[in-house]
Amino acid sequence: MPVSWPARVTAASSGSREGAVLGELPPGSEASTVPPAASGDSDPCPTLKPGAKSNCIIVSARQRGNPILKFVRNIPWEFGEIVPDYVLGQSTCALFLSLRYHNLNPNYIHERLQLLGKTYAVQVLLVQVDVKDPHQALKELAKMCILADCTLILAWSPEEAGRYLETYKAYEQKPADLLKEKVDQDFLSIVTDCLTSVKSVNKTDALSLLSTFGVSHLLPIRVQTGPCHC
Amino acid sequence: MRCSARPGSATAAGLSAPPVMAAPLEHENQVFLDLFHQDGLVICARGLGIDRILLRFLRLYCEPASLVLVLNTSPAEEEYFIDQLRSDGVVHLPRRVTNEITSNCRYEVYTQGGVLFATSRILVVDFLTDRIPSNLITGILVYKAHRIIESCQEAFILRLFRQKNKNGFIKAFTDNAIAFHTGFCHVERVMRNLFVRKLYLWPRFHIAVNSFLEKHKPEVVEIHVSMTPAMLTIQTSILDILNVCLRELKRYNPALEVEDLSLENAIGKPFDKTIRHYLDPLWHQLGAKTKSLVQDLKILRTLLQYLTQYDCVTFLNLVESLKATEKAFGQNSGWLFLDSSTSMFVNARARVYRISDDKISKKSKVSEKMDIKERKELKRELVLESNPKWEALREVLKEIESENKNSEDLGGPGQVLICASDDRTCAQLREYIIAGAEALLMRLYNKTFGKDERAGEEWIKDRKAVKSKGNARSDKGPQAKKAKVEASSKQNKIMKKQDLTLTQMMGKTEEENIEEEMEGYKELSSSEEISIEETKPEDFHLNLASDAYYGIFKTPLTIIHPLQGCSDPYALTRVLHEVEPRYVVLYDAELTFVRQLEIYKASKPGKPLRVYFLIYGGSTEEQRYLTVLRKEKEAFEKLIREKASMVIPEEREGRDETNLDLVRDSTSATVSTDTRKAGGQEQKSVQQTIIVDMREFRSELPSLIHRRGIDIEPVTLEVGDYILTPDICIERKSISDLIGSLNNGRLYSQCISMSRYYKRPILLIEFDPSKSFSLTSRGSLHQEISSNDITSKLTLLTLHFPRLRILWCPSPHATAELFEELKQNRSQPDAAIAMAITADSEIVPESDKYNPGSKDFLLKIPGVNAKNCHVLMNHIKSISELVTLSQDKLSEILGNAVNAKQLYDFIHKSYAEAISQGKTKR
Repeated sequence: MPVSWPARVTAASSGSREGAVLGELPPGSEASTVPPAASGDSDPCPTLKPGAKSNCIIVSARQRGNPILKFVRNIPWEFGEIVPDYVLGQSTCALFLSLRYHNLNPNYIHERLQLLGKTYAVQVLLVQVDVKDPHQALKELAKMCILADCTLILAWSPEEAGRYLETYKAYEQKPADLLKEKVDQDFLSIVTDCLTSVKSVNKTDALSLLSTFGVSHLLPIRVQTGPCHC
Repeated sequence: MRCSARPGSATAAGLSAPPVMAAPLEHENQVFLDLFHQDGLVICARGLGIDRILLRFLRLYCEPASLVLVLNTSPAEEEYFIDQLRSDGVVHLPRRVTNEITSNCRYEVYTQGGVLFATSRILVVDFLTDRIPSNLITGILVYKAHRIIESCQEAFILRLFRQKNKNGFIKAFTDNAIAFHTGFCHVERVMRNLFVRKLYLWPRFHIAVNSFLEKHKPEVVEIHVSMTPAMLTIQTSILDILNVCLRELKRYNPALEVEDLSLENAIGKPFDKTIRHYLDPLWHQLGAKTKSLVQDLKILRTLLQYLTQYDCVTFLNLVESLKATEKAFGQNSGWLFLDSSTSMFVNARARVYRISDDKISKKSKVSEKMDIKERKELKRELVLESNPKWEALREVLKEIESENKNSEDLGGPGQVLICASDDRTCAQLREYIIAGAEALLMRLYNKTFGKDERAGEEWIKDRKAVKSKGNARSDKGPQAKKAKVEASSKQNKIMKKQDLTLTQMMGKTEEENIEEEMEGYKELSSSEEISIEETKPEDFHLNLASDAYYGIFKTPLTIIHPLQGCSDPYALTRVLHEVEPRYVVLYDAELTFVRQLEIYKASKPGKPLRVYFLIYGGSTEEQRYLTVLRKEKEAFEKLIREKASMVIPEEREGRDETNLDLVRDSTSATVSTDTRKAGGQEQKSVQQTIIVDMREFRSELPSLIHRRGIDIEPVTLEVGDYILTPDICIERKSISDLIGSLNNGRLYSQCISMSRYYKRPILLIEFDPSKSFSLTSRGSLHQEISSNDITSKLTLLTLHFPRLRILWCPSPHATAELFEELKQNRSQPDAAIAMAITADSEIVPESDKYNPGSKDFLLKIPGVNAKNCHVLMNHIKSISELVTLSQDKLSEILGNAVNAKQLYDFIHKSYAEAISQGKTKR
């Protein structure tokens, strides 16, 4: 079973049959022969390569019926023929794994990771913790992620998992300002903050320097401490 | 007699009195000798003087020839012990090893010997780096030993000590028997961590203790005060509601099949802890209903406590504010709508005022007693019921006073110590004794319900009129009622007959009693005015060790002291020994202090001590006290049974090589893996090492890593917390740390430097094993993506640091295991290299072709952002070139006129301009 959540196995008969058909095909190849079943995407969806731009989250057909898709509400999504489960941006992708499924099919995720290789800069392994005692499995997954260069993200509910997918897509272009230390937006604070990024300068130094020189004279002090490798 | 023996004022005599330890008590001698001859864990009843026993050991080892470490003491306790030893005349006083002593000097301090109180974190590091001469240590004394669980710092210290020193002693002390009541084989596990074989139990009912204290019994007067009918009704209502809430809680959580959730436990203080203990691991799965029930139980307990502890106005204020919050926020789990809660509200109000409407006043039982004839026009008529205990306290003080008058044969008037549970009660009591109940209640009333001042004035006028008439019959104040209540209680023989004077009083008829009360009252109220004038500047300062006391009279010295809430836990003990009271009034009963009084009495034989116990008969207060007593007794009984059936291996003390706890896993692990790994092919025995940042020794993780057979190198790291291999650098964050450092930007800069200097930067998110293993709680997810959510920030972090790996560990144990596995077949880190890596060092890893320092610098300048930074760096050779560029050129490079203008303006702004701008802004 290629589906990565057990609910799918016991789902409606049509769904599971389709899943079985899909499972016999190597994901990504010969994809065009499978008719798109979802009503939402009637136009033939392009086979997306990493690097292609899109406003939507691209969802692999093997994720059809995954309950977390119900919780991707703030960002549009569409099915597409892709190697990972979700493409969340030009250089971001995600594989989804339910721990309950992982416990039944421990080899599944190995194969998926091997298939994926290292095509994307950020490869998220989104794990839904839905078993009672997840610790052993999580330890194995943690080691696997370090070997396979994946970012391990845990979610404890489909809502949370869906929210992670949304957030990855929504924050694709977001600068890191949110994570940085807040600096007052007046001139002096900025200059001080800027100058103190040079290790040998502290706050008082910065102010006294500034009162003696203008900014245009000050900036080149950087040159002495370390030249640009431009 | 005391005065003749020791000239000078009473206080001075108290100060120069010989220290506590002057006369060792019989049972203490035995405890001391037992423990001296064989190492062990002493569990002693609360208040029975575990500190005195530790003190004796400290005194024994206060000499340069021995080196004894004391673990688990708080700074206040250390100070107390040092003070006591100083007054004992000990020359080589214990010293404290804290971070104030630099690491270089510490070896010297250790070699000087004596007793050392050391911070656990420092000791761990010193043991690991061999800065402490382990072979020279005489032994270790462990205070509060019930806290020594496997993963804690102190257990780690003891293990390191036993590995390196087989001869030193380990002696452990605790007075918290109840702590051993929980969990499976708790005491055995603690003893295993302590490496001791002997368990010494000293409950209060131990034959030696009991018979000894029996000989030196203080004179005890138990006064069971009965609550007013209104108070009783309120108490019944609250208990009803509590019961309902508990039932609901059980209904919503069928998993909570525990006997701990009984009504009796629910009124006790540790109940919150118990319930959190059960619910914390599944907190994220609980519904809102359960959470609010837990909250309500807490509120109801506070209500119960306020009812007996404080006056009627304070109680009403609390009740009214509860109702107001409910209206304002609409949050309550329904108990406010129960019948019982209505009756609680009605009675709470009836204790303070009544609305002069016959229908309503009939409802409240208090007002039935009063005849309401006058002041129909007033809306609120103040009742201001005073606390029955206050009245009892006044009587006790009167009795003491009269006894002090003819106390020549006892050597002058005896001093009085009144103990109440907290500061607020103490302040109230003082005001009551000095100013009287009316004034106190009036002040409180005006403070809380100030708007209705007219009623207050009326009330005072009325009271004054009554007083001047001197007509006891028409007095409708609380005093009259109190007298009745008390009289009736005497009839019911609720009062105990232990005291002579009380029995005498009981012989009198009811009417006489009332008359006497009234007379007494009048006397008091007249003397009150005098005393107010006299003691107006009553803020006199005594030369006492504690600053938490409230003085009342100077001769004979009468002071009130809180039982809890002092900054110094020994404040009351010090006061007790300095004041040396002949009379102690326990306004609130507390087990520890009661026992302390017994010990105090026994250590000063021949000195009279009378203890008055004030307690509300049949109240939750009494029940709480009895529950604590029973719990401790049960805990000891369980310990005795466990001790009888305990199996202790010979090698427990770890003095030879056979104790398995001291064997670190690595050696045994290689043996077992050999067979598993295809005949045990290579297994080179390379000692595994992890470099750990000094600051990390506050957590339990280093101890667990060490336990697994991995060596730990404590160094000060500027980048990362743990270095597993030359490539892997780990930053450990607990959940609260994670949230904090994501918000304040620290994690971002940590990630920058980690990914700059290490190939595999890793963020380790460590969960608390006793809390739920989940990042967000159920139902806390918003509809929209919010940038404030921790999940959003984590997402953003991983997007910006593609190489950053995340580990999610449910407990430190799991983390240690994972560390070991991550290290397998990888080379060992080098401490020198790891230490050399600071944010300053200019190691440029191959991945980044730009100078990271310059990039940081540019990014700080307005107009430059992550997107255009690289473009800019590609176009200019150095920052000095940037300064020379024109604004047009800049906008060409950046491709954005706004950014270019910002950048240009910033570079070419002069300091003067900036200052003037800043000023106008302000």
